[in-house]
Amino acid sequence: MTRHTDLGPGRDPQAGLHQAMAALSAAPPGGRGVTSDLSIDETLLLHSVGWEPVDLVFGVSWWSIPWGAWQWQTGEIAEASSAFAGAFAEAAQQMREECAQAGGSGVVGVEIEMRVAAHHISIELTGTAVRRVDHHQAGFEFISDLSARDFALLTRAGWWPLSLVVGASFVVAPRRTARQWAAQQGQNTELPHLTEALYLAREGAMARMQRAGSDAGADGVIGVRLREGPLGHSARIMQFVAVGTAVHLAAGSHRPIAPTMAVPLDDAERTFEAASLRSSR
Amino acid sequence: MTTPESAAGEGNLSEGPNETAEPDGGVPDGGVPDEVLPEAAARRLGHGAWSSALSVPDLATSLALGFEPAGYVQGFSVRQWRWIGYYGAGFSPAAGMGAMVGPRVGPGEYSEGWRCPHGFVAGEHRVYGYNFEQAWVERSWAEAWGAAYTRMIEEAEALGAHGVIGVTDDMHYLAGTGAAEFSIRGTAVVVPGAPRPSPPFSTFLAGQRLAKLIEAGYAPVGVVAALSSVQMFGYCITRLQLSGSGAGTWSGGAPGVGAIVQVGKAQRAARHLAREHLRRQLGGDALHGATVTEFEQEIGEGDLAVHCTIKGTRVRRFKDFDPLPEPEPVVRLR
Amino acid sequence: MTDQDTTGGTGDGPTPGELPSRTATGSSLPDLPPDAARRLAELEDRPGHKGMFTSDLSVNEFLLIKEVGFHPLGFVMGSSIYHLGIQTRRWSQSQELAKLTGAMYNARELAMNRMDAEADELGADGVVGVRLDVNYYEWGSDTAEFIAVGTAVKAEDGHSYRNNQGKPFTSDLSGQDFWTLMQTGHVPLGLVMGTCVYHIAHRGLGQTLRTAGQNVELPNFTQALYEARELAMTRMQVEANELGAAGIVGVRLEEKTHMWGDHTIEFLSLGTAVARAADDHRIPEPRTVISLDG
Repeated sequence: MTRHTDLGPGRDPQAGLHQAMAALSAAPPGGRGVTSDLSIDETLLLHSVGWEPVDLVFGVSWWSIPWGAWQWQTGEIAEASSAFAGAFAEAAQQMREECAQAGGSGVVGVEIEMRVAAHHISIELTGTAVRRVDHHQAGFEFISDLSARDFALLTRAGWWPLSLVVGASFVVAPRRTARQWAAQQGQNTELPHLTEALYLAREGAMARMQRAGSDAGADGVIGVRLREGPLGHSARIMQFVAVGTAVHLAAGSHRPIAPTMAVPLDDAERTFEAASLRSSR
Repeated sequence: MTTPESAAGEGNLSEGPNETAEPDGGVPDGGVPDEVLPEAAARRLGHGAWSSALSVPDLATSLALGFEPAGYVQGFSVRQWRWIGYYGAGFSPAAGMGAMVGPRVGPGEYSEGWRCPHGFVAGEHRVYGYNFEQAWVERSWAEAWGAAYTRMIEEAEALGAHGVIGVTDDMHYLAGTGAAEFSIRGTAVVVPGAPRPSPPFSTFLAGQRLAKLIEAGYAPVGVVAALSSVQMFGYCITRLQLSGSGAGTWSGGAPGVGAIVQVGKAQRAARHLAREHLRRQLGGDALHGATVTEFEQEIGEGDLAVHCTIKGTRVRRFKDFDPLPEPEPVVRLR
Repeated sequence: MTDQDTTGGTGDGPTPGELPSRTATGSSLPDLPPDAARRLAELEDRPGHKGMFTSDLSVNEFLLIKEVGFHPLGFVMGSSIYHLGIQTRRWSQSQELAKLTGAMYNARELAMNRMDAEADELGADGVVGVRLDVNYYEWGSDTAEFIAVGTAVKAEDGHSYRNNQGKPFTSDLSGQDFWTLMQTGHVPLGLVMGTCVYHIAHRGLGQTLRTAGQNVELPNFTQALYEARELAMTRMQVEANELGAAGIVGVRLEEKTHMWGDHTIEFLSLGTAVARAADDHRIPEPRTVISLDG
């Protein structure tokens, strides 16, 4: 879905430009400057729902995983899962504190960078703290990886982001016994123990994310991405990480947005598409 | 830990690139004294037709907005370059047990120390650990970036331009020389009939994003950028954690699974320093469309260097937001 | 195309009418693992426990799904790790490899059935945004993981959208496409697929020499590729017919060699079977726009 904003007839862009040039010769306003990584579209959309950026905020946490955690077991690696949870919670907490310190009520467009190395897990969050234009403060309200555009759209429909929620699980793929291997060789057949191990790991990651959502009092978690794959330092160890934004219905009921169909006349489309979200994340 | 505000003391980046671009800024620090353009630039710019790096849609939007391209402008600065080193007297990172005297930092610069809780001393046991800001790296980065920026702006001024749009910047190493080249380029534009700001403005934006920015009531003041550099010498606990041997009887207090405090603090300090260095160039204006890049280097077992850059366009509000018309949601049929 | 004559084929593969059954066999696993059941139970409302949904839909997709009267229930998935033993092939003959075809089909069915079972557990009317993937792992020689994920949805008006097999509908359409489909007065019935693993003959030395340096058509190759694609598409259409579909939208044909080398190719055809919801539906006229964002 894209949105079209016709800034309307009767505006004179050149007059605006002249005004802008004149402003450049004036003295800078002084005080503490706002910093933001939002685009102009995002800034405008955010403003249209009554919010403005305050400051770039961060949350970083590195957690250690002891040597041996990966080597001496099969099945789920509890140390890694708990290090992940600990690092994420700490990074999110720091981001909340930075947001509160900057006078923001929430953080939008949080970028999440996570790395799992042999002996540590790092979580690095970057986002823009925002506050209400009318400066009405209701304390800390949300952290969300939704873009400012998604935030504006969602709040129009009566929904509200609450927090980032994650769940991770790390498993060692079980080895096949010699007998299993021999029996399956040359056959086209399902491998139940492997299927089960991976299935359970995925369910485990989802279940943890869900629980985080429940704890936040969410009505739902949207934009869930399941990242999975072998770890760099060991092909037998697979990580499953589910990340999403917990949301709740703040208005009494869902407000329809009533979109219309449109045929674009652009040749080269350089617009936002939902599909691009999926592949890029 | 030193707070970002208190770290924002004297002697860091007060001579950052955009300060020099202020009307009263004067001659840039670290730049070559070029009242006149480099000869090659003068020759190129003296040539009749304008050149521009803008795409056709960006050019069309810029023309519609009232900009006229004046020429492609650029500035360069080549520097001897290294990211780590210089610790000050009394400190040697090579010392096995770590140094009791920390690396020297200037007033107001970030530094933080840790001491081993074990109470035992052995050859390879790092008793002391330090996080510290490498202000000399930050300063030389700001000088190089500022020099390239100033040269670009001087080309724009020579063209009688009001500003430079669609700015791009780059830093790359010159192979085999130990040097790095900083470059900044953009398209100089004129706004016929409008007062000319001095120095000219600049922005990373072009085309309709720039049009929307101005329509929304923001004037682009200039592109701004800052780098922070924090080095970390891990003390024993940090080293144990990073090597995975945190759990064990002799590690005395290093938990098997737990926060690696010293690294976390170095990482956060780097981000906060970059943000505050940059904020000091804003003069109360806003930073728009920032990009944050962080990179770390392992410089030995358990030792790290963390660098963070933030850049974006400094913008000034010149009129209030007009209320945005309600955007109309559509589904496109592709 | 449904009348495609397969007797001309050289393979020993099943004819389009003899598809592997929709109820996949050969698994010792229950349809719904207990951990999955536990996770799904937590999503549901019950006294003393507030339910919630999970979904991999974007905000745009979520709002559009709501717009056409569906509410997401939960992120559902199914997977199957399959050992794909190699089937003997004749070097110089193009033919369908029926055992591998069956295996590819069966493995996907297992994954999709498990996803269906999760959706069923949630009382869903359908699953939207379904994606089918194949993963390979370094540690598993000749093994591939087939995985199906999607978001289970339920109609808010209480109307059942289950298909003629009593199962939740499945669809690989995005939220945007799903909304647009509903505007046209159609409803999805199910994700349908057809597959065919085909061995393309190696050319004999004599043949290669004869045509060396010439750009001539290679009739055997043309015919083999033609044949394989038709088989895959026909099987997909048979599935759609079983669902009582009016048509299939978003059909795509994927060609993958997986791990079998260049000459053995899987032709997989996928699409969403749809039916008309009402005969007198008027499609709203789309507007034409030039977008200003980008």
